[in-house]
Amino acid sequence: MGLDLLLASTPSPAAGNGGGFDLFSILLWPFKWIVEAILVAWHWLFTAFGMAPNAGLTWVLSIVGLVIVIRAAVFPLFVKQIKSQRKMMEIAPQLKKVQEKYKGKRDQLSREAMSRETMALYKKHGTTPVSSCLPMLVQMPFLLGMFYTLRDVGDHAKHGIGGVGLLHADLTKQFYDATLFGVAPLHIDLRTALETKPAGWEVTVTILVVLVILMIVSQFYTQLQIISKNLSPEAKTGQAYQMQKIMLYVLPLGFIFSGVFFPLGVVLYWFVSNLWTMGQQFLVIREMPTPGSDAARAREERLARRGKAINAEGKIVPIAVYEAEQQRLLEEAERAKEQAPKREQPMSKKRAKKKGSN
Amino acid sequence: MSALPSYAFGTARFRASDLIRGILVLPRNAVLAFLVVYRAVISPLYGDVCRYYPSCSAYAVGAVQQHGAVWGTILSAWRILRCNPWSKGGVDDVRPHAHFHYELTPHGFVVPARKD
Repeated sequence: MGLDLLLASTPSPAAGNGGGFDLFSILLWPFKWIVEAILVAWHWLFTAFGMAPNAGLTWVLSIVGLVIVIRAAVFPLFVKQIKSQRKMMEIAPQLKKVQEKYKGKRDQLSREAMSRETMALYKKHGTTPVSSCLPMLVQMPFLLGMFYTLRDVGDHAKHGIGGVGLLHADLTKQFYDATLFGVAPLHIDLRTALETKPAGWEVTVTILVVLVILMIVSQFYTQLQIISKNLSPEAKTGQAYQMQKIMLYVLPLGFIFSGVFFPLGVVLYWFVSNLWTMGQQFLVIREMPTPGSDAARAREERLARRGKAINAEGKIVPIAVYEAEQQRLLEEAERAKEQAPKREQPMSKKRAKKKGSN
Repeated sequence: MSALPSYAFGTARFRASDLIRGILVLPRNAVLAFLVVYRAVISPLYGDVCRYYPSCSAYAVGAVQQHGAVWGTILSAWRILRCNPWSKGGVDDVRPHAHFHYELTPHGFVVPARKD
């Protein structure tokens, strides 16, 4: 999500490197190779089904395929994280205790102590609400590889060369020739289209502008859904929440930049990627909401209307079973209370004396 | 941005008279400057993702302060590799350098220690 925009804000280095060997391109080489392989594999599949190898639709679908493969590859990690969040419900009381302890203390030392205790608690129970740092960093070179592969098609086709691997010169040429609706080439960006005004440039500009608007709207909508529905009350108190609220309005504007400077093929990749994120988030908010959030309450109400409820293990059961379970839990709690030794209110010596004299 | 641990900043200040001695800590301060910018600008985009305290970027600050630009970067890279979906997370502090003879500024930069 955020990564797309990070990419958008990096200035594109060396626009016309015909095949120079710098450290950057050497590091990126394996990622570009993989991206090209996926792209070519989809293209091969679609042409095998009888689609024209240089048609815009074939290449657009190949780009869609690329998004699907990359996003599906990280999907298991995403599910793992969501499942870990479920377990958070069990430690919620202990977590609350820690939060109460440091309530209103905003100095650095208190914040540090609170973080330490929270992290120790997560580790003890083998759960965490966060994903982890490595996947974030691994996605980065893939996104860069995808970006350079799609962007360099224009240059490579002009020089009559191919990419780093399976996207050889002929395929590069086909990609270069591919046009959307017969007029909008996939390698052209908004600035070039406005400057050179090739035949049918109005269509190209319209497509790009519409895509940028749709990207801004989808990004904003996705973030708004998370912030307004899927945050627990605790998450809504911190400094990070304020930051998220500001980012909600700032981040989508990054797409204006990408829409102006990046070729149609790259913009299409981001657009499809955005749609995927939106769908994924919609499903999560509906079926696996953060415990304690508004979305979780909405889901409980939806289930109640169908005569179902979520039991202590987080499974959906008929309401009768749920009520029986609640009754059983209540009885157990009462029994435990009875068995526990009664605590007597301590009395000061003075008061005990007074009471004795009465 | 997650909080820096208290051992990652101090009260020292850079004095002009330390200019020559300061060259020694120039590489680590260059890396620290990058980390300060990263933590202020890029970290907030990700939100809280790290499984450890201190977070990976805060760990990197401590590691570079204590062990210098090269070894500190290696330690940080190893930490990022450990911060994966299969790790348990928890509290994981930087092991301090056995003979750390510099001082830290409030922003976490390293300056030569005062001789007096």
